[in-house]
Amino acid sequence: MLSVLILLPLIGAVIISFWPQKIGENDSSPLHKNLALLCSLVILFWTIFLVFQFDPNQGGMQFSENLTWIEWLGLNYQIGLDGLSLPLIVLNSLLTVVAIWISSETIERSRFYYALLLLLNVGVVGAFLAQDLLLFFLFYEVELIPLYLLIAIWGGQKRGYAATKFLIYTAVSGILLLASFLGLVWLTGAKSFAYGPLLSQTLPLATQLLLLSGILIGFGIKIPFFPFHTWLPDAHVEASTPISVLLAGVLLKLGTYGLLRFGVALFPQAWQELAPFLATWAAISALYGASCAIAQKDMKKVVAYSSIAHMAFILLAAAAGTPLALVAAVAQMVSHGLISALLFVLVGVVYRKTGSRDVDYLRGLLNPEKGLPVVGSLMILGVMASSGIPGMVGFIAEFLIFRSSFPIFPVQTLFCLIGTGLTAVYFLLMVNKVFFGRLTPELANLPPVQFSERLPGLVLAVFIIILGLQPNWLLNWSEVDTAAISNQLTVNQVQLTMKN
Amino acid sequence: MTDFLLENVWFIPFYGLIGAVLTLPWSFGLITKTGPRPAAYINILMTLLAFIHGTFAFRLFWDEIPRQLVFHWVQVADLDLSLVLEISSLSLGAMELVTGISLLAQVFALGYMEKDWSMARFYGLMGFFEAALSGIAISDSLLLSYGLLEMLTLSTYLLVGFWYAQPLVVTAARDAFLTKRVGDILLLMGIVALSSFGTDLTFSELESWVATNPLPPVSATLLGLALIAGPVGKCAQFPLNLWLDEAMEGPNPAGIMRNSIVVSAGALVLIKLQPVFTISPVASDALIIIGAMTAIGSSLVAIAQTDIKRTLSHSTSAYLGLVFITVGLQQVDIALLLLVTHAIAKALLFMSIGSIILNTSSQNITQMGGLWSKMPATTTSFLVGSAGLISLLPLGSFWTMKRWVNGFWDTPLWLLILILLVNFLSAINLTRVFRLVFLGETQAKTRRVAESPWPMAVPMVSLIIVTLLLPFFLENWQLLLTSSGQWSENAPIWEKVAVPLLVISGFLGVMLALTMELTRELSRPTQFYRRFFQDLLAYDFYIDKIYGVTVVWLVANLAKLTSWFDRYVVDGLVNLTGLATIFSGSALRYNVSGQSQFYVFTIIFGVGLLLVWLVYTGQWSMVFDYWSSFFN
Repeated sequence: MLSVLILLPLIGAVIISFWPQKIGENDSSPLHKNLALLCSLVILFWTIFLVFQFDPNQGGMQFSENLTWIEWLGLNYQIGLDGLSLPLIVLNSLLTVVAIWISSETIERSRFYYALLLLLNVGVVGAFLAQDLLLFFLFYEVELIPLYLLIAIWGGQKRGYAATKFLIYTAVSGILLLASFLGLVWLTGAKSFAYGPLLSQTLPLATQLLLLSGILIGFGIKIPFFPFHTWLPDAHVEASTPISVLLAGVLLKLGTYGLLRFGVALFPQAWQELAPFLATWAAISALYGASCAIAQKDMKKVVAYSSIAHMAFILLAAAAGTPLALVAAVAQMVSHGLISALLFVLVGVVYRKTGSRDVDYLRGLLNPEKGLPVVGSLMILGVMASSGIPGMVGFIAEFLIFRSSFPIFPVQTLFCLIGTGLTAVYFLLMVNKVFFGRLTPELANLPPVQFSERLPGLVLAVFIIILGLQPNWLLNWSEVDTAAISNQLTVNQVQLTMKN
Repeated sequence: MTDFLLENVWFIPFYGLIGAVLTLPWSFGLITKTGPRPAAYINILMTLLAFIHGTFAFRLFWDEIPRQLVFHWVQVADLDLSLVLEISSLSLGAMELVTGISLLAQVFALGYMEKDWSMARFYGLMGFFEAALSGIAISDSLLLSYGLLEMLTLSTYLLVGFWYAQPLVVTAARDAFLTKRVGDILLLMGIVALSSFGTDLTFSELESWVATNPLPPVSATLLGLALIAGPVGKCAQFPLNLWLDEAMEGPNPAGIMRNSIVVSAGALVLIKLQPVFTISPVASDALIIIGAMTAIGSSLVAIAQTDIKRTLSHSTSAYLGLVFITVGLQQVDIALLLLVTHAIAKALLFMSIGSIILNTSSQNITQMGGLWSKMPATTTSFLVGSAGLISLLPLGSFWTMKRWVNGFWDTPLWLLILILLVNFLSAINLTRVFRLVFLGETQAKTRRVAESPWPMAVPMVSLIIVTLLLPFFLENWQLLLTSSGQWSENAPIWEKVAVPLLVISGFLGVMLALTMELTRELSRPTQFYRRFFQDLLAYDFYIDKIYGVTVVWLVANLAKLTSWFDRYVVDGLVNLTGLATIFSGSALRYNVSGQSQFYVFTIIFGVGLLLVWLVYTGQWSMVFDYWSSFFN
């Protein structure tokens, strides 16, 4: 059942890449898009089907599949779905549809483009499903190549620089992860890279700390945290809109997902040792990201830096590690995925219509006759959701994070709260400059926005509001499984205190 | 039927929300044939329904024991976030006030916004506004109230920014949002802390929680101060007071709501949080100090304003300052009375000046005069509204103040002086505005003015009647029950003469303003001291300038600094590493000679070095054992 999620995009990618570029005289680029869209919709429906099959109260892996692959290496094709990965899988399927939907119909080398998008999907889904450390690592690296190409070929002016920077950073991240995984498996003497048995490892604390540092920095680059973040703004600015949506919405979540799955769960003891530092790191990263965002002039950069700030809250929650905190962390992943995707979609529309993302150039776009009023309204909604205005999913996720972290790390939590407050500052400055004021003559003849261009934004906005009003639907999925992870932390704490 | 209305009281806020949602087709331009008016009618109808529903519920519920409605919102892990509504005569009364003023303001807007092309959007926002406000009125949960306060912040932003093409509006909307947001974030910190300290955020249970003496003094103080911050922003108290003044750039009907009930919503939350402040003397003192500073400062600033809206908005801050003092002194009943009387009188005053602004197309009082004979309803509104606000004639404010100082509560001397001062200054301000606008000679802008159309006149007249009848309502609802308090034997002398003093202070204010010389010119006084004081007050004690060189400067420059640091130091280091790699790579490529001898030499040399190092450090046996294990 789960392999379908990996196979479908793979088959789709193969079909599209062998589909003729021209049928007769007609260029079949739009057809490629429709094929890709069809494929992604089928994936989405399959995901929804899985959601209904999924039993959130059961706990542990469901729909597990286990195939022996390379026995002597200890690598097996072992996948499964639990409450931690399910929300992210759904998010990924949804955002892939959105990304393909907003891709240009007349994009150059369309076969290659859509095939890569679907391959990217293969990598991401595989990584979320993998129950084998090495398999996770493989998918984690697989996702890298299409993304590199997508930025390097269809990006902006400095795409080469940005793509290479992204590649090098993520490669370093991969090496660190691989080193930690190998170290963990070899030092525990495990026979394979299977995830389950490793949960009960009993390595000395010093070794654990060393291995955990590798994982922390590895995923810290991916998420990204200060000071490993500089690839992100560059990548976002140069990547085209659909890629930005996927990058911010899904790919960064690989890092936070990994942090919970391979950091907290595998090294509970070391995690607790490091937790105070991690919380401080989260606070610094949040304030740093927010502070940088205030000074940006490019709309995409503002959103990119805000990602850094908002992703840091997940680290804070993970550091706190209570059941509530970990549920909140998952909720924040989904919330940030939806909100940042919405913001990037809208910035993309603005860019396509006006040819600019410069906040000093754009002005008065809310104008109902000649401007982009619906896009502007949605932008205000997205910005408010990001600032944590109640009634939208951003509020409940962040509130739960702060509520759960405050008893454990009060000071760090308060600093993160200031970071939330700054969200309103930088986004409001952006919205005020771009959408308010009088429409300048250069911007007065904008092409009209089609309904199909508004649709993805509207859909995302609906999700943001529904989950904001009824967050239980989101929280229930992951409650049992995150509680299990958190339980390990507390069990460990008890053991520690007993030893003392 | 009656049961049905009572059981579904929780639905009243949704009327406004439904109205707001129904305006969307018009505001997004999906329906253009009909023009925006249907959207307005729908909203007025929904508000009317809410008002009628509320009235029935209010009358039916009179004197019953308060009930609670609990909605379990989020239950996850060990946390249970419930949204609690309190159905009591008090909360239903507050909701009546909200829907009533909202109804009048919306009818008023029919006339005021008649020629505006985005009327539908305006009504949508007003519906949203009303929904949030009536929700706050019946909310018994801090979390729900916070959510609704944020909805208010958002809709204030959108309403102030309604005419978003004007530059002043843009900054005003931004400042309104950010100023309130500062307060809200601190409030959120307080909520997070309060929730972590083991209470479930229900207002009515705060008292029993406080009775368990749960917190060390420092935590209690910090918590109290954080919880105060939200209402400080909402009620436009010092130091977060400037947004209300700037918000006057928005449409006037929204100003009616904002200056009467929106500020009261913040105060209501403060009143409900009052038990928490009892455990922290610092927080109580902070409330009193903030309230006193704002009350006096704003009253003074109001006198120096020439913009008709701003003269009144500063007075709003001043009266809300009095409410803060009452909460600090734990005199909650007085706080509620003050809110009711102030809200009604202020709403009436704002309607009156809305009518003036629409008809004269000006907000500058120095350009007006002689309107009394041309706009009788507007003039009467202003007079009655002023009378309701200052304690001179036996209208709402007089009875409230009388109850405050008549000896039932302990009235320290400083408080009496403060009340007298605020009353005196308000009297001066309102009389001054009245003289400039309505009396004297007509001027260019006021010569051809006529009375407003009926959609504006009807709400004004209705509210005049309400203001005049307010004392009877209050008496009837027994809110003035303790008005004949017992004099204790050793009550200080000033408490016994407080009520006459109050009337005298109002009278003196009116007299002074009637006799003092008023210049219509915008020329500034030539004397240094007079000019200094006039400018000081006219520019709000330069608070915005002070912000500009402190907080705003700090944030802006910190942002620039981090951004620079990010670009050149963090990213620079990374690029330097990259550059070093490239350079060393290009240096090394000269080693690539293509001769196999060289490669073999390199390999042997490297392995040799490794072996030497291993032998030297004594790890040789380890390596040997490892490899030999493969062959056994």
